[in-house]
Amino acid sequence: MNKFLILLAVFFYAFYGYAQPYDLLLKNGRLIDPKNRINNKMDIAIKDGKVARVHNSISPNQSKKSIDIKGLIVCPGFIDLHTHVFVGSDTEKFANGINSISPDDFTLRAGITTVVDAGTSGWKNFPLFKSQVIDKSKTRILAFLNIAGNGMTGNAMQEDLLEMNVDSALACMKTHSEHIVGVKIGHFEKQDWAPFDRAIDLSNKAKTPLFVECHLPGYTLEEQLAKMRPGDIITHTFEKVKERASIIDENGIVRPYVLNAKNKGILFDLGHGGAGFWFSEAIPALRQGFAPNSFGTDMHRFSINAGMKDMLNVMSKFMALGLSMEDVIARATWFPATGIKRSELGNLSEGVVADIAVLSRRKGKFGYIDAGGNKVYGNSKLEAELTIKNGIVVWDLNGLNAKEFSIK
Amino acid sequence: MKIFFASLRLCTILTFLVNFSFGQETTLLLKNGHVIDPKNNIDAVMDIAISFDKIIKVAPNIPAANAIRVIDLSGKYVTPGLIDMHVHVFAGNNLDDYIANAPTSVMPDGFTFRSGVTTVVDAGSAGWRNFPLFKAQTIDKAQTRVLALLNIVGHGMKSRFHEQDITDMDPVMTSLMITKQYPDLLVGIKSAHYWGGFTQVDKAVEAGILANVPVMVDFGEHTPTNSIESLFMQHLRPGDIFTHTYSYGPKVRETVVDESGKVKPFVFKAQQRGIVFDVGHGGGAFSWIQAIPAIQQGFFPNVISTDLHTQSMNGGMKDLCNVLSKFMAMGMSLKEVISRSTWAPAQVIHREQLGHLSVGSEADIAVFSIKEGKFGFLDIRNTKLDATKKLETELTIRAGKVVWDLNGLSAPKWNEK
Repeated sequence: MNKFLILLAVFFYAFYGYAQPYDLLLKNGRLIDPKNRINNKMDIAIKDGKVARVHNSISPNQSKKSIDIKGLIVCPGFIDLHTHVFVGSDTEKFANGINSISPDDFTLRAGITTVVDAGTSGWKNFPLFKSQVIDKSKTRILAFLNIAGNGMTGNAMQEDLLEMNVDSALACMKTHSEHIVGVKIGHFEKQDWAPFDRAIDLSNKAKTPLFVECHLPGYTLEEQLAKMRPGDIITHTFEKVKERASIIDENGIVRPYVLNAKNKGILFDLGHGGAGFWFSEAIPALRQGFAPNSFGTDMHRFSINAGMKDMLNVMSKFMALGLSMEDVIARATWFPATGIKRSELGNLSEGVVADIAVLSRRKGKFGYIDAGGNKVYGNSKLEAELTIKNGIVVWDLNGLNAKEFSIK
Repeated sequence: MKIFFASLRLCTILTFLVNFSFGQETTLLLKNGHVIDPKNNIDAVMDIAISFDKIIKVAPNIPAANAIRVIDLSGKYVTPGLIDMHVHVFAGNNLDDYIANAPTSVMPDGFTFRSGVTTVVDAGSAGWRNFPLFKAQTIDKAQTRVLALLNIVGHGMKSRFHEQDITDMDPVMTSLMITKQYPDLLVGIKSAHYWGGFTQVDKAVEAGILANVPVMVDFGEHTPTNSIESLFMQHLRPGDIFTHTYSYGPKVRETVVDESGKVKPFVFKAQQRGIVFDVGHGGGAFSWIQAIPAIQQGFFPNVISTDLHTQSMNGGMKDLCNVLSKFMAMGMSLKEVISRSTWAPAQVIHREQLGHLSVGSEADIAVFSIKEGKFGFLDIRNTKLDATKKLETELTIRAGKVVWDLNGLSAPKWNEK
């Protein structure tokens, strides 16, 4: 009798499981998945934190829960390639300090599911960064490891060649290969090429890209680009500061050596930040067909309330400058994923982790600001309605995932 | 010596000239906005002139000619910078701890300006032992004005365990830190998360009497529940604050609305007695099942606040603008919600220089637009209320400086030369 009951239970369980194989179904959204060249109405079923099925019609009966996202856009969760999130108590610094910001405060509400920290830590303090921030955050945090041993700790320490130890950094990268996706060089003010050469040496040994920030006034932009290898990334593309040549020359033309670098396969990241984005650079560049490969926000304490605000605002700004929505989504998902050689991210192929953004496109008159305090107008703005990380809803702007309240 | 006096005289003349011509110089003029200033009973289209960090004039049709910078706010609402009376912003590195110098707190500037908030009151994250660290690490570095309620527990919200330690609840040390050490920053006392009876509240009130400041009480986590009627009528003083007003967790916290959906009669009496009811939305303290009947029966909160921390920021709470919009969705007017997030909290914390737009006050100002559309607002039980209006923060000004500008209202249009 007992055996019979167990058999019956197993049978019902199997039947139930068969009838509702999925945990969550996103129905009727317009899927934009640049990797898979999909741009039309598709349903997405999620099971065990993974994308289980993408098909033009999946029945709600097959899922424990179903959300109707008709009229909305669904795409892979965004990858922010340039952030500073090694937050801590040091009141003067980025590394373990308050100039960094806590990632979950700014990511999920903007559709971001993965951030890459841009060298806020080096081999000496990466373990602290990991235990203090990476392991505690809902956002997936990857990192470029700074060639400076202590990361971004202010000039004296950042410029100490003794701390730029390739072997120690390489050991750190091997131990933490799950999180470290490349090497960063930035914030070195002397003319000695040793730090840059060591960063390239480390990148070669680790077989990862090099991420070049600016604040390297001792090197010219042309020299930096000449030393960089295909697949390396330079950020602050549209910057206009004393310490680095802008990519646009005096006549408003993209400099030939910049175009050559791009043609050679060097990737240009936005790196908006507080001072890294100027219309005077971006507008002529875009007109000449020069768009950034990724929309790194450079989020930190000094950019979050300025013209940057968040990644959706940055993407909407580029739509105001003429890029299509499909194009900006590609530069926020699949392009950065391939840039950091994480092809399992930034797409919604069946079997990948279910990191998903559901967006609405607001219509109206919106203003977007650059670092010079000027604005351009746009007629649409992206907003994150739902953000899903590992199959779980982690942001729900308007209660799409909620039941209507009623008093019984 | 002669040269010295001559130069002194020159200085005096120069100073006079500067005062005369620039002392009342309008550095920023906000034109054509609909001003809502509950303290001064203004609810009309008005211009606001600012000179450096101060408001110098509020009137219709102030001429734009003499202003250095003019922002046109036609169609927008202009209010005093919001005061969020309940937040947790003592962010820090003690990973195994709770809110004091620990990861459940957030850093204020990322949440305040984008929702029109210029002043926050930290609700007892720190006690007298760790307040100096909180000040050095957060308060002194923030652009947001950060005030605080000092926890009656010396270690503040280090952990639930520490919050039970009666020997660390010292009314004298708590009151001395408020009156002698940091009278400019500390505006009251917090009692929270205590598992016993009234001991902690009574010690907090004792300190409140010594320091002449209000006490805020989070009165949950008791099994069985303690009587809130007794709390309101016997233990608290008029002017003391009850937070998490619309929380629904009847096994550990007595609710203001009973199981049949009626506001308990003594709750109205308590409000008449002067008990301040604060929203303190948080990650677990706001349920439609309490709030909707309460608002319908005329029991409004005195103060609308967020209880901002990492467990509330990405849930139904989101930010103060969102919480205000929720109360509008329940039927309160814009004026009613603005009043409860500006002048009302300023009075509760005895900072009457804040929360209004009187001439001479510091220019902390918020500018909102009202979005029209279809919106859903969540409570902490993941049920939603539909609405057609939502506030959006266009501009935030702190001490005369634009610190948030959503759509570039203050920016010139980019022009290709």
